[in-house]
Amino acid sequence: MAQINDISPEVIEAAVKRVLSSLNGGAAAPQETAHAPSNGASGKLDAKKDYPLSQKRPDLVKSATGLAFNEITLDKVVEGKLGFDDVRIRPETLEYQAQIAESGGRPHIATNLRRAAELTRIPDDRVLEIYVALRPYRSTKQELMGIADELEAKYSAKVCAKFVREAAEVYEKRGRLKGQ
Amino acid sequence: MAKRQKRFEVLADRPVNKDGFIKEWVDVGLVAMESPNDPKPSIKIENGVVVELDGKRRDDFDMIDYAIADYCIDKRVAEEAMAIDSLKFARMLVDINVPRAELVRLAVGLSPAKVVAILRELNVVELMMTMQKMRTRKPPMNQAHVTNVKDSAPLLAADAAEAAYRGFAEIETTVGIARYAPMNALALLVGGQVGRPGVLSQCAVEEAAELNMGMRGLTSYAETVSVYGTEQVFIDGDDTPWSKFFLASAYASRGLKMRYTSGTGSEVLMGYAEGKSMLYLEVRCIMVTKGAGVQGLQNGSISCIGVPGAVPAGIRAVLAENVATVLMNLEVASGNDQTFTHSIERNTARMLMQFLPGTDFIFSGYAAEPNYDNMFAGSTHDVDDYDDYLVLQRDLQVDGGLMPVTEEGVIQVRNKAARALQAVFEEVGLPPITDDEVERATYAHGSKEMGDRNVPEDLRAIDGFMKRGSTGLDVVRALAKRGFRDVAEAVLEMQKAKVAGDYLQTSAVFDDKFNVISSINHPNDYEGPGTGYRLTGDRWELLKNIPQAIDAEQI
Repeated sequence: MAQINDISPEVIEAAVKRVLSSLNGGAAAPQETAHAPSNGASGKLDAKKDYPLSQKRPDLVKSATGLAFNEITLDKVVEGKLGFDDVRIRPETLEYQAQIAESGGRPHIATNLRRAAELTRIPDDRVLEIYVALRPYRSTKQELMGIADELEAKYSAKVCAKFVREAAEVYEKRGRLKGQ
Repeated sequence: MAKRQKRFEVLADRPVNKDGFIKEWVDVGLVAMESPNDPKPSIKIENGVVVELDGKRRDDFDMIDYAIADYCIDKRVAEEAMAIDSLKFARMLVDINVPRAELVRLAVGLSPAKVVAILRELNVVELMMTMQKMRTRKPPMNQAHVTNVKDSAPLLAADAAEAAYRGFAEIETTVGIARYAPMNALALLVGGQVGRPGVLSQCAVEEAAELNMGMRGLTSYAETVSVYGTEQVFIDGDDTPWSKFFLASAYASRGLKMRYTSGTGSEVLMGYAEGKSMLYLEVRCIMVTKGAGVQGLQNGSISCIGVPGAVPAGIRAVLAENVATVLMNLEVASGNDQTFTHSIERNTARMLMQFLPGTDFIFSGYAAEPNYDNMFAGSTHDVDDYDDYLVLQRDLQVDGGLMPVTEEGVIQVRNKAARALQAVFEEVGLPPITDDEVERATYAHGSKEMGDRNVPEDLRAIDGFMKRGSTGLDVVRALAKRGFRDVAEAVLEMQKAKVAGDYLQTSAVFDDKFNVISSINHPNDYEGPGTGYRLTGDRWELLKNIPQAIDAEQI
């Protein structure tokens, strides 16, 4: 379960800006409550009871900036009170959807959504760069290992880091590294 | 021949004889479902690791083998599933007394060669029966292509609106000129939400560019993320299973729905089929997709349909690949999206394979423009076939996802879509859409009736729009400011969909109230007659009442 302190500095900065601007405008600042809720005995969400989250568990759905789902309104967009980060998904939501997928008998999807939860913390441009680095013949083994270290250290993306290290091994074995 | 028999002369002129046919040619992979080079099914597991797959030892695995062995196959059920005789498994697929859930549980224990061995036992009617039972989402739906040769934005918006209004659940565009992509995506986003709130839209271009538009909220899903069945073709496609897995996670990390694309014949066309059957290679693609944790797949040969279309049982293989996809519990967008024959009869017969049982998206997609404007190289059916298609639904009482409409209704949504886009262009600083363009787009059959836009000016402006970091929220603001508040609400709802992530689940779409409909809350529950999706009630009333039908009471 990702905690709020895992989110990228850019997103936090945007959140702070938005909170400040809404304070200046006299509106109440939304609360950032990113702690895992208690979800029954197993602590996991259930496909039948909790899906769709937007209707059955709107209490759990917040934007990347911590804004409650129902507070994303047209009026606020028009008044310029919301930025694009206010309509971005946050890692907790992807974890909830992973639990829904698991409880719906789809563990493969859950694995993907958990990798995705980690990637929410990485800026768009860097995500695109890492994708390109994983294309064939683009990177040396050392470069891929460097990306893995970055994923782990800078973004606490442990699952993705392991995935990139695995790619480096397979690419080496199959001759798909830069210069091979 | 000195003297022609007259019947043969007539036959020689028939459209079907303009099609290309070729006898099976195993060495290059021109064989549909069974090649002598296809491996024999096998799996060996040691300490929870697949050490042999379809006769190949782990040391000899290529990238695709690794991806399937380590990410797709469920090691806990593999031995149980592989031990079931292929013919018996095939019979379980069509047996209404064997639940879908049990088959889905076992399917991830199968090797690619085993899946092919099972599918070989089924004829096309049995394959359709399997599709009806194994499709993941209960109601079948449809997808449309929305493109034109001029990349005319007002026409794209009008066509998107009409497609959504006619009932397509997803709309897909692409480009004539690559740099037009964000403008085309914008036209579909606005036009689509005018036609029917909740419709999903995408813009199929190069992978990184496509993801970038999604990240900006200009599209709501992606589909053209290709996977291939041999390592060499995968590499020639400039990706690996690992780069494609990462891309899948990247989409989900921005709350975007996505599916992969693959299809029989692509490896033959790209020259590295390894002498394997098309279906065997395609099943490998399907299992890579499953391993990626992607929710669905567009297949059914897609842009390579000419290849399976030319060999014996090729169209059966195309249906079989759709079936293999749903067997893996994936959403299927099942092709019918490229012209492959001059024969109207072949064209319709090929389409019935998916139309009759119903799939998640019967077409991927149907041409919501005349075929000369279809930038995906034509589709099997286009705007001129709308009424034929509506009658097929009515004749057979089958839901093909298309709704009867009135001319007045279509004119109204087309006009509103073009006007809404006109307003957005003005607000976000894109070159003006003139009133004349709005009028033409409203009433046009295709882009021949549209004037030419200033292409360099359009391209400079859309580059600037992207460089400024504009997003879907700028579109929302523009629409609201100019009085299109309902459209603004709908475009905002599409942005909010990415916050909640409900439509990341398998085979998800939205209805016009933004209720998500997916395999999680609307699972296919077919268990024989009297169960599953039935075209009855209000929906049947809607679909059977085509405007052409005479009402006895009014005579």
